Amino acid sequence: MRRRSLLQVGIAGTVLLAAAGLGLSLTTPAWQGGRLSPAAKEVIDAVSRAVLQGVLPEDPAARATALLAQLGRIEDTIGGFPKSVQDELALLLGLLTTVPGRLGLAGLTTAWAQASTEEVQSMLQSLRISSLDLRQQTYQALRDLSYAAYYADRSAWASLGYAGPTDI
Amino acid sequence: MSRFPDPILEGLARGWKVYGGRHAARPAQLQCDVAIVGTGAGAGITAELLTAAGLDVVLVEEGPLKSSSDFRQLESEAYPDLYQESAGRKTADKAINILQGRCVGGSTTVNWTSSFRTPSATLAFWREHFALPDLSDEALFPWFLQAEQRLSIGPWLAPPNENNELLRKGALRLGIAAAAIQRNVKGCWNLGSCGMGCPTNAKQSMLVTTLPVALDRGARLLVETRVQRLDVAKGKVTGLVAVGVQRDGTAAPGTEVYIRARHVVVAGGAINSPALLMRSALPDPHGRLGARTFLHPVVISSAIFDHTVAGWNGAPQTLYTDHFLELDPIDGPIGYKLEAPPIHPIIFSSTATGFGPELAADLHDMPRTHALLALLRDGFHAQSAGGQVKLKSDGSPLLDYPLTPFVMDGARRAFLSMAELQFAAGAQRVRLAHDLAQPYTNWAQAKAAIAGLPMKPLLTRVASAHVMGGCGMAGQPQLGVVRPDGRHWQVDNLSVHDGSLFPTSIGANPQLSIYGLVNKLATQLARELSGRDVRLA
Repeated sequence: MRRRSLLQVGIAGTVLLAAAGLGLSLTTPAWQGGRLSPAAKEVIDAVSRAVLQGVLPEDPAARATALLAQLGRIEDTIGGFPKSVQDELALLLGLLTTVPGRLGLAGLTTAWAQASTEEVQSMLQSLRISSLDLRQQTYQALRDLSYAAYYADRSAWASLGYAGPTDI
Repeated sequence: MSRFPDPILEGLARGWKVYGGRHAARPAQLQCDVAIVGTGAGAGITAELLTAAGLDVVLVEEGPLKSSSDFRQLESEAYPDLYQESAGRKTADKAINILQGRCVGGSTTVNWTSSFRTPSATLAFWREHFALPDLSDEALFPWFLQAEQRLSIGPWLAPPNENNELLRKGALRLGIAAAAIQRNVKGCWNLGSCGMGCPTNAKQSMLVTTLPVALDRGARLLVETRVQRLDVAKGKVTGLVAVGVQRDGTAAPGTEVYIRARHVVVAGGAINSPALLMRSALPDPHGRLGARTFLHPVVISSAIFDHTVAGWNGAPQTLYTDHFLELDPIDGPIGYKLEAPPIHPIIFSSTATGFGPELAADLHDMPRTHALLALLRDGFHAQSAGGQVKLKSDGSPLLDYPLTPFVMDGARRAFLSMAELQFAAGAQRVRLAHDLAQPYTNWAQAKAAIAGLPMKPLLTRVASAHVMGGCGMAGQPQLGVVRPDGRHWQVDNLSVHDGSLFPTSIGANPQLSIYGLVNKLATQLARELSGRDVRLA
């Protein structure tokens, strides 16, 4: 498939092709009724730990609270997109929750819930500089979603030195 | 909650006829003289002029009616409420992120107030290549002047914020001219939150200027309502099929509205307007519809300084340089304009590159961060033909915009220019929005590294806040979608009045180009439909 025609399919089509190539049928929706499935939450949690390392609170209890809140913010952020975009993200997360998807697309050999922060970071780095559009798109979707959700909440602003809205 | 008066709440209390969302239930059928699709720059100007001529106008807006009481300077509320696709609209290959308004007032409600007349070189190109002899500086002068007076567009007299001052400082050291950007504000509080909706009503957007005037004159406004298609028979639009939209953009069951109008003005913004004409299967004998959609592709460079910049504070984009637009002829290597955008947490972190500890240091340095953007002037060269609007299976638009090597060559030169300027201004460290760029600590290092960066889409982070073209204006039917008077070449009672008219990009922030050109077109349309001469208040 030539690059342009591959691109015209869009990420949803590409994910479907990837899923078909891996012999997968995505039967469990990763995103339904505005909520992530338990398996999708494991993906998001692992990605959040890796992406947000260095900006998450250092205190273990505060960190755990922040990571839990991050899952809710990710759901809010995804819920703000139009349905066609939500469907694309659901497809992508669904693929990542499967073992062949985790291995084939992400290149992560350890299960999401067991993977160390370093393993997930090195997986993200290989997606980031991959020569395959789908892998780069996957990296950017996961990364951008993580930061957009995290900094949606004022509790995260102090570490940026950002005071928030001006009182008028 | 803002303590400021809210002109929209006051208007609603006066009895404005607003339907949809939290307002009155949508009627199943409507009849009017002119239906206007959209409420942004072109729609607002058109609505004021047509209602001044006594015409009965219905406006249809896909987004919600939000106003100063709702504008709490929060990105987390503004992006999902006020922007297309929650400020995450992407091109087909996901390589360009597009910021475009989706609310009453359209992009004028959320833009950064930068106001430029259409550059002379752009108009000259249109006259020569698109058979538009009437679009000269002289001919457009009165139309721009009226729009500027109507929208309080003028010099910004407050000192620039530090983020902009650094642009001037670097440019001065390099011997490059930097100039002030005119703004459409009245009594601006210099908060810097323009992109989240103006909480003080100082920004003279369509939301607080032309639309209230039209609504006071009896215009009807449908919000959270999308025009799905135009019905066309025998070369004329006979009606508009609209439907209420839910928060996720899908049609709300049982909310269909049928609108009959003598004339239809499509002004939903580029990408959206051509998509509506495509959904309506309008004639397109020369294959021009949705083609030549331009974005001013933007690349970004941030720089850390030894002092507080606080790029979220104060008016954004008050200084610019066109030095790199003027180095070559307009149809030569792609040129670019440099400006200093606002820096808020979500937009900053999600347009930066990298993650984890690598990015954490930059994020902690946000108060000392200055950012420049380069907007590339696309559309003036055979290898910069822009993008093509397509339809997804649900009928929503998707822009396929290939970032050609010609365009990406400009992106490389823009990275070089921005880094050089930032080091000249005293930057300690420069970070480009490119996934293979390392932090650079001096100009020589940056210069060598940028020369070797692979300028590929996706690896290079590209954004856009200016969507133009797709229903191009031309003096001959084979060159465009609409005629020089803004009417569709094949469908006579249909006009296009928004940024999708432009045959190329503008080469400057486009809002005033839309106001000026549409002022001309809508004044003529008002005369043709009503026999009356009108002008902006």
